[in-house]
Amino acid sequence: MLVSVGGVLALLLILPVFHPSGYVMRLVSTIFMWVALASCWNIMSGYTGYIDFGPVVYFGMGAYTTALLMTRAGMPFFLSIVAGGIVAVVFAVPVGIPTLRLRGAYFAIATFAFAEAMKQVALEWDRVVGVHFFEGSNGITLPIGPSHRFFYYTFWVIMTILFVITYFIERSRMGYALKAIHEAEDAAELSGVDTLRIKVTAYAISAFFIGVIGGVDAYWLTYITPNEVFSIHITIQMVIMCLLGGMGTLLGPVVGASFLTLVSEPLWAKFPYDYLIIIGVIIVVVIIALPRGIMGSVQGRKGKRRGSGA
Amino acid sequence: MEAGRKVILEGKRVMMHFGALAALSGVDFSLREGEILGLIGPNGSGKTTLFNVITGVYRPTKGKILYKGRDISGMSPHKICRMGIAKTSQIVQPFTRMTVAENVLVGAMYGGGMAQKEAWEKTREVLEFVHLDRVADVFSGNISIPDRRRLELARALATSAEVILLDENMAGLTPNEIEEALDLLRTIREQGVTLMVVEHIMRAVMGISDRMIVFDYGEKIAEGTPEEIAKNPEVIKAYLGEKYA
Repeated sequence: MLVSVGGVLALLLILPVFHPSGYVMRLVSTIFMWVALASCWNIMSGYTGYIDFGPVVYFGMGAYTTALLMTRAGMPFFLSIVAGGIVAVVFAVPVGIPTLRLRGAYFAIATFAFAEAMKQVALEWDRVVGVHFFEGSNGITLPIGPSHRFFYYTFWVIMTILFVITYFIERSRMGYALKAIHEAEDAAELSGVDTLRIKVTAYAISAFFIGVIGGVDAYWLTYITPNEVFSIHITIQMVIMCLLGGMGTLLGPVVGASFLTLVSEPLWAKFPYDYLIIIGVIIVVVIIALPRGIMGSVQGRKGKRRGSGA
Repeated sequence: MEAGRKVILEGKRVMMHFGALAALSGVDFSLREGEILGLIGPNGSGKTTLFNVITGVYRPTKGKILYKGRDISGMSPHKICRMGIAKTSQIVQPFTRMTVAENVLVGAMYGGGMAQKEAWEKTREVLEFVHLDRVADVFSGNISIPDRRRLELARALATSAEVILLDENMAGLTPNEIEEALDLLRTIREQGVTLMVVEHIMRAVMGISDRMIVFDYGEKIAEGTPEEIAKNPEVIKAYLGEKYA
């Protein structure tokens, strides 16, 4: 499995050498970005089962941090996106500690509310405080970025890092703890797992990379507004891609994000007004047919697994 | 048992109130190193609540739990587990989408504080000991009830606990399986683990306990050897009603 994934990654790395069209470059970069975002959501929600319904808040924070640092402080792009990730973690830890004590729907509602609240802060700050900072709904324009190729490689690197991190988490102490929390949190706690600490760690890792990706996307778009980078649609896409691909599996987010983007694209081109209805039907059908997602269903069939080391 | 043995776990006036309900109203108990202490009492008399207070699931309303002389009341369950007290639950809670071995591994890594490699060795050892090695790589959602009961025990053993609290670990087992389970508990005790056993199957708990405590309505109504308990009028009253006492 790893060999084929490595092969595909290598092929994608050399793809730009063949001078594909700008459209192909943009499409593949978009897929990379969604694979990366869905992987972030998977690390936290996929493995623990805690449905985070506000991950976009860290996307928005990363986007705004990057935009402000590049335009106001003239900071270089790569430093700015890392700063975006750090800002996300600085918020994620104090937000995670109280909210990750909540179970089930309450956690989803709390994260959703936090994301919506932060969007309002970005929208209204300037007017309420009386200083120009977030620029409200006027948005911020970033310096014109480099070529498509630059973003293609940037997203490729982030996506690959996330794949490798997920691979190692699955096999680490932390991975077993995350899965145990998913299955029976009280039993995990009674077996010595510091469940809150593990959940907050996963949440912070997830937030960091979502922040970084938000920063890259801001530079790619060159113009951001709170309504766009704090949009609930970004959250929903991350959730649906993971559900389709299989929550808590290594390849689930990869398969889910690629599938959804590749299916949306031609449908959008052909039926610009109705494509969302068709996508909705496809999602419902896939979830009914494969309730544990594409990869989850493939793994579930085996029913048995070789102990790694036993 | 020998009165000279050291007390390892002790409860002092443990009180647990849920709103107006007193699940435990000032219970004293002591557990001596190496013994098997049986806990009996009618449904709702506070046995499971006591286990939950000891393991940190609940913080006692009043009173103290001392483990090796240290006050552990109100500490979080994972800390208490790491200190050496493990529990098996009445309602089995396996990590169903993980294999039997991985279930036990979690206990060894976190409760036992072992590195992954060492924890795998411990896991193999424990699985062999409780006769679960044959299903080590099966998802724990797919094993039989007796095997799930053993798995609860295996997970507790893997944490290298010094005290294990067993909450109806024999419920739903056939007489033969109960005999096997009792033999297993005796072997565990011989290895130096102290056990506290909640059990409804009277023959089982009478046969294995060195001492017993009887609960009724959140209070300790009797304490003594199984023989003493069997003859105690308070106990007979609690179980069978006034006219039999």
